[in-house]
Amino acid sequence: MPDTAVLTVPGRKAPAPPPPRRGRNRGPRRTPPLVLAFVLVPLLAEALWVFWPALQGFYLALTDWDGVSAPRFVGLANFREMTHDDVFLDATGHTVLWLLLFGGLSAVLGLAAALVLQQERRGVGFYRAALFLPVVFSLVATALVWQAIYQPDGVLNQLLESVGLGSLRHAWLADQDTALYAVTVPALWRQIGYVMVLYVAGLKGIDPALYEAAKVDGAGAWQRLRHVTLPQLRSVNAVVLSVIVIDSLRSFDVVWSLTRGGPYHSSELLSTYMYSTAFQSLRLGYGSALAVVIFVLAFGVICSYLVRAFREAD
Amino acid sequence: MTHHHASRRRFLAGAGAAGTAALLSGCVTSTSSGKSSSKGKVTLQSNLSAPQAKAAMQDVVASYAKKGSGSASLNTVAAETFRTQLPTYLTSANPPDVYTWYPGSVADAYAKKDLLLDLGEVWSSPDLKGYSKALNSLCTSASGKKVFVPTTYYWWGMFYRRSNFAKWGVREPKSWDGFLDLCDKLKSKGVDPIGLGAGGNTAWVASAWFDYLDIRINGADYHRELLAGRHRFDDPEVRRVFDRWQELLPYFDPNGTAVAFQDATTSLLNGRSGMMLIGTFFADAAPKDALDDIDFFRFPVIDPKVPLAEEAPTDGYFASARTGRHAQVVDLMRYLAGAEAQEIYIKGSSGTVLPCNPDVKDSGTALVKKGRAHIEEAAEITQFFNRDSSDALQPTADNALTKFIAEPKQIGSILTDWQREAAKIWNA
Repeated sequence: MPDTAVLTVPGRKAPAPPPPRRGRNRGPRRTPPLVLAFVLVPLLAEALWVFWPALQGFYLALTDWDGVSAPRFVGLANFREMTHDDVFLDATGHTVLWLLLFGGLSAVLGLAAALVLQQERRGVGFYRAALFLPVVFSLVATALVWQAIYQPDGVLNQLLESVGLGSLRHAWLADQDTALYAVTVPALWRQIGYVMVLYVAGLKGIDPALYEAAKVDGAGAWQRLRHVTLPQLRSVNAVVLSVIVIDSLRSFDVVWSLTRGGPYHSSELLSTYMYSTAFQSLRLGYGSALAVVIFVLAFGVICSYLVRAFREAD
Repeated sequence: MTHHHASRRRFLAGAGAAGTAALLSGCVTSTSSGKSSSKGKVTLQSNLSAPQAKAAMQDVVASYAKKGSGSASLNTVAAETFRTQLPTYLTSANPPDVYTWYPGSVADAYAKKDLLLDLGEVWSSPDLKGYSKALNSLCTSASGKKVFVPTTYYWWGMFYRRSNFAKWGVREPKSWDGFLDLCDKLKSKGVDPIGLGAGGNTAWVASAWFDYLDIRINGADYHRELLAGRHRFDDPEVRRVFDRWQELLPYFDPNGTAVAFQDATTSLLNGRSGMMLIGTFFADAAPKDALDDIDFFRFPVIDPKVPLAEEAPTDGYFASARTGRHAQVVDLMRYLAGAEAQEIYIKGSSGTVLPCNPDVKDSGTALVKKGRAHIEEAAEITQFFNRDSSDALQPTADNALTKFIAEPKQIGSILTDWQREAAKIWNA
């Protein structure tokens, strides 16, 4: 999670401050070698540890490889296979559903939590911290707790029993109709706090004078939200959207620890399908092709949104 | 400023393209052919990461060092990591020398790719003379080379608690019909007759039922051929397995696919379920006082004409073909195959495994004695679904079997899907 925050924050700032004026007036300036070193050394490390493996992934997507023998080049056969792979199509459907449920709900609820908790009142820090706390935990550890909750004789079923809803008792993670939704809840539980923090930061940046002016003009609470808060949050929305899309597409740990994409693929996402194809079925070529699809989806959505957002900003 | 930007961007793009071309020509996927160094200790890569087993392995390595002919350094890796990393270990330029793993088709798959050391020298030593014929053929690759040294094995059976059976007034069944009667009786007493434990992360446990029904109905030869891809999962023979299984489904714990086998064995020990088809490893986690109360019976025979087969997965070691410490590896392997190493291991671990070396004393409990006889009576030994096929085929079985348990009426389409998924693995 922190890595996306680090990645996206510069993106948000990008259009803002111009370079210092004095430097420009003196004409083209030489970059000091120390600065060059600061740029080039990390770039080299990044190239070696990130870009190269990523490029290898693209190459592997065009091969048939079991991880032991030499990879065999097969062109676009892996991508052709996807078009009639039922599990892939189901996983894509689940991923879209996941994006809408997990992404949509975390954005809406995160914004709601931020609006409620933005005012400085006594004790508000405690609630903010409480909502943010799940972000600190590893999702695998979180999943273990939720697994216990969802057990056939776990907390959730006992709770249902005690309020007289015993007929709803259920093996939540083992039933194909509920598994995907049951997995969404712990993921949401964590994501809402994260999105809330982003929105709280955005809300703090809104000039209070705008609200006062709106009040003077006789705007109600709903109108202030609709016509002042939301438009002012546009730049934060870009960040939130990127975070949500990336997090949705790479959601893996929580699903894998709770259901492994099962029972029988009913909670399979593209990410879990990619992992099981590559590292359980040992079809690394096809797994890489799935990774490429995930990359294109994430990159496509985010790029198109960011390009539009910044064009509007200019 | 825009101009400035554009030219820099163009420069970066150019540099990137040049870099790409240079990088793609050298490739992480290329397999190198280096040999590991010939000096130093033999590296022993172990997946036995459970506390007892790990400690037992440390004892074995320590006593090997004490013997003085060589020494080994033990590297214990978490089981799941070991499984996914094994191909990487074996194909790396400087691989570990010796590995814990499985014989049979799993080892043979690596032997076919020339990744395993020929252990003929080890097998010619007197320590391995007494090993059974079944073990001999299990450790021989398709090309006729010995590639594996077996050390211990365990067995699967229908486990139950003696005191619970006495309380319910039931006894071990002697036939398939007797087994169905037993299930009926247990059900009438409000007990789930058959525990499963194929939920959580242990969906593979359900494969034991498939294996046993298949070796009882179609025989071990057919079963092995099926798993090797020489028959189809949508064949009528496989369909008969599921028809038989369907008779039993009403007796299965309704939470069978919701809880992991560890929880299912707890239910068994607490008397909430009557019996369970499971391997002896479950006893590792059982409380000491329950251990003496545990008993098992043979999975009932369905067709007496089919030669009696039992599942008894064998564990042991193979070595990398790229090791530079050939002589030291052979020496270590001979030691591991010998009586002393296996006795030390069995003493240190939970004691429910059986030694492969016939000269070794087992832990001597009534359960282990019965287990030994149980295996010796069998005409054929199978390993387990993944060991008789590959780890890659296991998930296809997990999906098919959990779906069958949830929706037995769809068996036709389930088997079609299973065949399609399995074909992808066999053709990979």
